[in-house]
Amino acid sequence: MSGATIRIAREEWRALARSRVAVLAGALLVLLILTATFISLQKQAAIDEARSQYQAEQVEEFYNQPDRHPHRMVHYGQFVFRPLAPLAFFDFGVDSYTGDMVFLEGHRQNSANFAEARQSSLMLRFGQLTPAFVLQTLAPLLIIFLAFRALAGERERGTLRLMLAQGISGRQLLSGKLLAHAGVAGAILLPALVALALMASSAGASLAQAGLMMLAYTAYLLVWTLAALLVSTLLPRGRDALLALIALWMVTVVLLPRGLPELAAATETAPTRIETEVAIGRDLKSIGDSHDPDDPYFSDFREETLARYSVDDVLDLPVQYAGLVSIEGERLTSQLFDRYASEAFARQDRQGTLVRNFGIASPLIAVRQLSMTLAGTDLDSHQDFLNQVERYRYGFVQELNRMQAEQIPAVDPGEDPRIDASNWREIPGFSYVEPDPLAYGSGRIVATFAILALWLAGLALLYAFAGRRLVWIAR
Amino acid sequence: MTLDQNHPAALLEARNLQHSFGNHRVLDDLSLRVGPGEIYALLGGNGAGKSTTLNIFLGFIKPTSGHAVVGGVDPAAEPDRARTQLAYVPENVALYEHLTARENIDYFLHLASAERDRATVIDPALDAVGLASQARDKRVGGFSKGMRQKVAIALALARNVPVLLLDEPTSGLDPHATAEFNELLEAARSRGIATLMATHDLLSAAAVANRIGFLREGHLDEEIAKAQGARFDVEALFRRYSEKRERLPA
Repeated sequence: MSGATIRIAREEWRALARSRVAVLAGALLVLLILTATFISLQKQAAIDEARSQYQAEQVEEFYNQPDRHPHRMVHYGQFVFRPLAPLAFFDFGVDSYTGDMVFLEGHRQNSANFAEARQSSLMLRFGQLTPAFVLQTLAPLLIIFLAFRALAGERERGTLRLMLAQGISGRQLLSGKLLAHAGVAGAILLPALVALALMASSAGASLAQAGLMMLAYTAYLLVWTLAALLVSTLLPRGRDALLALIALWMVTVVLLPRGLPELAAATETAPTRIETEVAIGRDLKSIGDSHDPDDPYFSDFREETLARYSVDDVLDLPVQYAGLVSIEGERLTSQLFDRYASEAFARQDRQGTLVRNFGIASPLIAVRQLSMTLAGTDLDSHQDFLNQVERYRYGFVQELNRMQAEQIPAVDPGEDPRIDASNWREIPGFSYVEPDPLAYGSGRIVATFAILALWLAGLALLYAFAGRRLVWIAR
Repeated sequence: MTLDQNHPAALLEARNLQHSFGNHRVLDDLSLRVGPGEIYALLGGNGAGKSTTLNIFLGFIKPTSGHAVVGGVDPAAEPDRARTQLAYVPENVALYEHLTARENIDYFLHLASAERDRATVIDPALDAVGLASQARDKRVGGFSKGMRQKVAIALALARNVPVLLLDEPTSGLDPHATAEFNELLEAARSRGIATLMATHDLLSAAAVANRIGFLREGHLDEEIAKAQGARFDVEALFRRYSEKRERLPA
């Protein structure tokens, strides 16, 4: 890097530093990032504390239930909460929209699985004050505001010709401007990156995830820096450059990220919650009624069970038949709910894929997805949570059904059969294992970085070309 | 066209320059030479090709045919190197308004990779152009056009280059400032700098130039050299200049 390049950058910084408006705007954005970081950290701590507390209370409440019939415990159920990922403070992702509390009970999968918010598009989010929101949405505006006159201003003032007349090349001039404004982007990023690094090192988060997130945001702001400088180079007046860049910001940061999920929702229509409930109810009826002695399915099930135990009557079974029916009924309903859940997940995946494919048209879409993935707050991690919850729910309910089958007498159980309360403590509590984004999202992470790299390479090429044509532009 | 083939080694030279924008020929077989310590005034009306000529010497435009040479360098082939041989003062001197006169000169000297010591380079150059010492550390935002030109000429002197290109340097200057400016050109001449001045200010050209070239529709119509120690006959020049302007298409 030549001395002239560095001097051009220094003078650009000096000009920005002497501009009250630029200094004020920059200070405001940094303040906003710090505020967003502080608020997000507070929010994360509050959510973590509340969820841990409620989870502990729920477990204790469940364990402290008195002697009961196991099937009453199946319906008593329990709540489970998803703990926030360590880097969630940076980007809450879909967490605020999906809800992370699920009520577990027998016969059905509850709440979040078929929540209204999850059946509409999850990409429809705009406006949480998090460091991610500030960097994704507001930082590009500041970069535009500070850079739109970088070259166009030199042309308008007439200093461009004078600069080139000193014998510097267009490449040196544009390199100097790029160095200056990349430095500005770095200054914008710095407080957020420091917060991210501190959290990553103290909260047990993956340093690799934090590092990749830093890299992604650096690339994203560099894309905006290059775009702003390129437009400033190509357009003759600062006003034109500003208008063009604002239009670019509106299309790539506002229109596409909000419009594409609508398009995805329109092309991949999801049933409403009521429609889903009705469909599930209809399918449940078709499975069979375990309480109806003439139900063909359960009639067959009874015959198979009698044959398996080599007895002629359910009263001769070594276990309680109603308990076996509960086990079978739960298996059937869970299969049904799993099917609906899989369909919903697949539909959301297709919607997400459609939106992500447009990441090539909007670097915001790319970096937003990457940010949520690395923060552990994307749709995939939420789906993984729901899958873990369902596996736990199924095991928990079937364990209670097994207790019913094995401990409630098959013959003359009495009017109010119960089992000992100590049984409840044999059921382990829900233990959530945070999925590793670098494992489940590796393909997507690579693809997103490739998109950002493509943007950077394309803009850098155009910028280099503009550098070669700068003399022509200057004349 | 008259070309003095016996002129001392030229620092600035145009050889049969031609340039067209589309079908419009802007320069037509333009040849001129400017030697060390010479001031060449290129006179012509709007659209005569003066700015195009300067842009070719600056390497901002490649001529359609012909050659330009600046300090021995072809600006079409090596524009950046050619520009290290010259200083350029545009019609409206553009400086950084948030910088002082000294800071502006220091910045441009740095870009030119030139010596920029304040005591030995910048202040002597500012002394030479007569910029008041109290103005030197003031931001140039409030400077008059004459003061800005002084800064630009000081920059040219500080760069210590062999060639000076001036684009309408006296446009907008009052008579006093014009006289001061002419003195600056004399100072440049005494340093052996070859100066090419594109202008339509006949009086200023007659006052300082060694030679005057009349440019009409891109063609050097006539070149008049001033004899050693003599003065140009301004009235005669004015008549010729007026005749040539009248012959221009409306």
